[in-house]
Amino acid sequence: MTLWLNCHYFDLMILPESPRPSQKQGILRRCISRWFEARPAGDRGRARGRDARPDATGESGSHRRGGRFGALLAGVAVVCAATAGCGGTDSASENASETTAASGSKLVVYSGRNEELVGPLYERFEAATGIDLEVRYGDSDELALAIDQEGDRGQVDVFVSQSPGAVGYLTSKDRLTPIDQPVLDRVAPEDRSSSGNWVGLSGRARVQTYNTTEVDAADLPGSVFDLTDPQWKGRVALAPGNGSFIDFVSGMRQIVGDDRTKEWLAGMAANEPPTYPGNSPILEAVNRGEVASGLVNHYYREIAAQEDPNLAAENHFFAPGDPGSILLVTAGGIPSTASNRSGANELLAFLLSEESQRFVADEKFEYPLAIGMAAPGSLPPLTDLPVTRLDLERLGDSLTSTIDMIRASGLQQ
Amino acid sequence: MIERVRRRPGSPLAGVLVAAIGVLFAAPLIYLIVRAVGADVRLAEVLSARTTWLPLLRTVLLAGSVGATTAVIGTAVAWATVRCDIPGRRVLRALAVLPIVLPSFVGATALLAGFSRGGLVADVLAPMGVESLPRASGFWGTWFVLSLFTYPLVVLPVSARLAHLPAPLEESGRLLGRSPGAVGLAVVWPQVRSAVAAGTLLVVLYTISDFGVPALMRYGTLTQQIFLSKLDPSTWLPLSLVLAALALIVTGGERLVARRDLRRPLIRGSVAGRTDLGSKRWMVSGLLVLLIGVAVVGPLAVLISWVVRGMTSGSKAVALRLDVTDLTEPALSTVTTSAAAALLAVVLVLPVARSLARRNHRSAAPASVLVVAGYALPGLVVALSLIFWALSSDVGAVLYQTIPLLVLAYAIHFGAQAMRSATVATEAVPDRLGDAARSLGAGSWRRFVSVDLPLLLPGLLAGGGLVMVSAMKELPATLLLAPAGFSTLATSIWGAYEFGSYAQMGLDALALAAVSGLMTWLVVLRRTESN
Repeated sequence: MTLWLNCHYFDLMILPESPRPSQKQGILRRCISRWFEARPAGDRGRARGRDARPDATGESGSHRRGGRFGALLAGVAVVCAATAGCGGTDSASENASETTAASGSKLVVYSGRNEELVGPLYERFEAATGIDLEVRYGDSDELALAIDQEGDRGQVDVFVSQSPGAVGYLTSKDRLTPIDQPVLDRVAPEDRSSSGNWVGLSGRARVQTYNTTEVDAADLPGSVFDLTDPQWKGRVALAPGNGSFIDFVSGMRQIVGDDRTKEWLAGMAANEPPTYPGNSPILEAVNRGEVASGLVNHYYREIAAQEDPNLAAENHFFAPGDPGSILLVTAGGIPSTASNRSGANELLAFLLSEESQRFVADEKFEYPLAIGMAAPGSLPPLTDLPVTRLDLERLGDSLTSTIDMIRASGLQQ
Repeated sequence: MIERVRRRPGSPLAGVLVAAIGVLFAAPLIYLIVRAVGADVRLAEVLSARTTWLPLLRTVLLAGSVGATTAVIGTAVAWATVRCDIPGRRVLRALAVLPIVLPSFVGATALLAGFSRGGLVADVLAPMGVESLPRASGFWGTWFVLSLFTYPLVVLPVSARLAHLPAPLEESGRLLGRSPGAVGLAVVWPQVRSAVAAGTLLVVLYTISDFGVPALMRYGTLTQQIFLSKLDPSTWLPLSLVLAALALIVTGGERLVARRDLRRPLIRGSVAGRTDLGSKRWMVSGLLVLLIGVAVVGPLAVLISWVVRGMTSGSKAVALRLDVTDLTEPALSTVTTSAAAALLAVVLVLPVARSLARRNHRSAAPASVLVVAGYALPGLVVALSLIFWALSSDVGAVLYQTIPLLVLAYAIHFGAQAMRSATVATEAVPDRLGDAARSLGAGSWRRFVSVDLPLLLPGLLAGGGLVMVSAMKELPATLLLAPAGFSTLATSIWGAYEFGSYAQMGLDALALAAVSGLMTWLVVLRRTESN
């Protein structure tokens, strides 16, 4: 049974496009080569329906009767099966035949944007171009650290970041290469890097999300600076370690200067805000009424409203020009070690195509950035919004000092 | 049956092997030092800053309190479920270790959601006139939740030790007219002390490394500062070094105490007895039910309520992957990689543990400290260090982002959990048995397989089981080091959490709890169940 389990487990990792050892090769050799196949899964999604079998738990029981060493043998079997077991199945050859004869090219993508948000777009790109994507999902900051750590040996073709901070970090480390001008030109100059190192893909506005029974809409402030008022003591949740919050503070510094920003941070800290690890826990807490309001990105509320029709959280946009409702862009960049730059530019262009931008706006409630695109219907149009554009290039540079400022403010205890 | 541990000369080759294993486990630490030396790091500035010292003090305070609490709870739970004749013993035993199967941020989120206003518990209490419950936060909130979710780290090694204490030991105590409690203190405690210390050390190191719970509870530990300054290596590198130094001090300290304990003979037998608690047996069961209710049933109930809410809302944006096959692939990936990691970890630490117990290599003590202390480093640091080491050679570059390297990362990160259990187990193997086998002409391999291994098995399985459970919920290393597209239950949970889909997160977390709980029961609990 253990053998079975491992057989299928390794089948699941087989890549259509990876070099396929011939049937004549020894079983052992085939299996070893499969174990060491770098970045196997071209099939990014959850191989639906393939090798559907009862779950792992059913067979584990059979180890037990094996006497005193049963469990140990079971463990040994895991490794043995890994090298010997997977040879006996036919699906390897079946999968091999699936290999796409198309361009044969592939792109390695590190995606700081969630699979739920952009997964469908990547799939459409694969279908439209025949280029295979190998997508690694993760935290934007951590993926940026990984790209920097990989250095010259890195093989990433496209980095898609949830926040400007992570691309800014890579720019400061000189890890990005300029994007083709036609791709950059799809967005307004203020939504892309002046050096052409990265381009904005979609926008999220910072808002104060509030519980409609806890907060009277008439009491909502026109400026984020009013939140240091004692009446908001303990009533505004923050996520000080979150990338969006850090970028928001960087933006505030550029708009009102360091002194005013420090003052605001100190004022907020004096108001003892409940802190959370991220945007979505804040929204959940506001919805429950655990905290009256919180500073988050706008679209978390829109998504939660889909899951919970009785959602008690509502978004409040601050007055025009107020740093509280800054627009933060999600961004794409091409690492300087990218081996398939034309494919990388193609993917970024696709993400800025009308089809993708409409998807982002209609399905995911974010602001499209491609020139000529309208904002999602349920939200105020971008031009009407009090959104402050950030100097993206400067944002990355100011990252370290912003982090220092937040740490010193006592917000993050 | 009683045997003093003697010092025997070991082969130089084994000494080199032990040292090499120590270096392997120190890879993340060496990475930190190499980068800190090579880069423009604000070492002096960071070390002298108030934003370093205050969080460090909080970390120490928290780790100490959580450690002390779990030592008491964990030992009591192990004793009650292994050595006492309480009603529902087997079921309670299986359920009592479940709190570790959930990633701490999931458990804490669920617990917070349940107790806060509008949550499950609050809704139940509302008709009784309870208006609002205070939000658990700060030191006490962090202490409570971490203690609740980490005490199984003590239960497993202590249970493994208790299961093989011979009954006559306690019976003689009882015959002399002592109460069960007094017998426990005088006779049993000295025998399990090293296992308790082993488990507690793991709790302390885990507490030092944990990010999710203090973040949710707004308690600014050192790890919070490291994560806050993630994109500023000139800050997080020195902070991580401070964390590593703290871990080395704690681990080294425990090692010194444990070494003193080594002089005490450990007793083992094949028959475990059960203490008759008399009328108190129902009370003990009741307390266990209460503990399990808060630590296991509570969070799971909240997760279920999220799933139900998501399923009944008929949402279009949240297409729940209710198809079982969609959970099967991540579940299989989770089980096989973590089982391989557990096996590798046990194989790697066993030579160190044996050498440590027999005290025949000087390299054993430092190697064991390095293996254990590494557990306190955040997973992100371990992951980045493996990127660094793998890509620093052509051979490593081939292995980069393949399953073997991921398994190695798990083993390095969680090897500590196998290390202490293996050491305790090895210490309890009497040398006399090996001598007898030798006199009968058995070779060293045969002696190991037929004499040592059966005696070591409960301890090794307890340690390996902990590694497996930890690897199942591991996140940062899995995200960065797994092959692209390789999804485990933990990565699915994280994806749903980030996206804000609590229903999907609940579903994936329930699947993880089920798989992980079942594996723990099959591999660890059934094996350490005597009779």
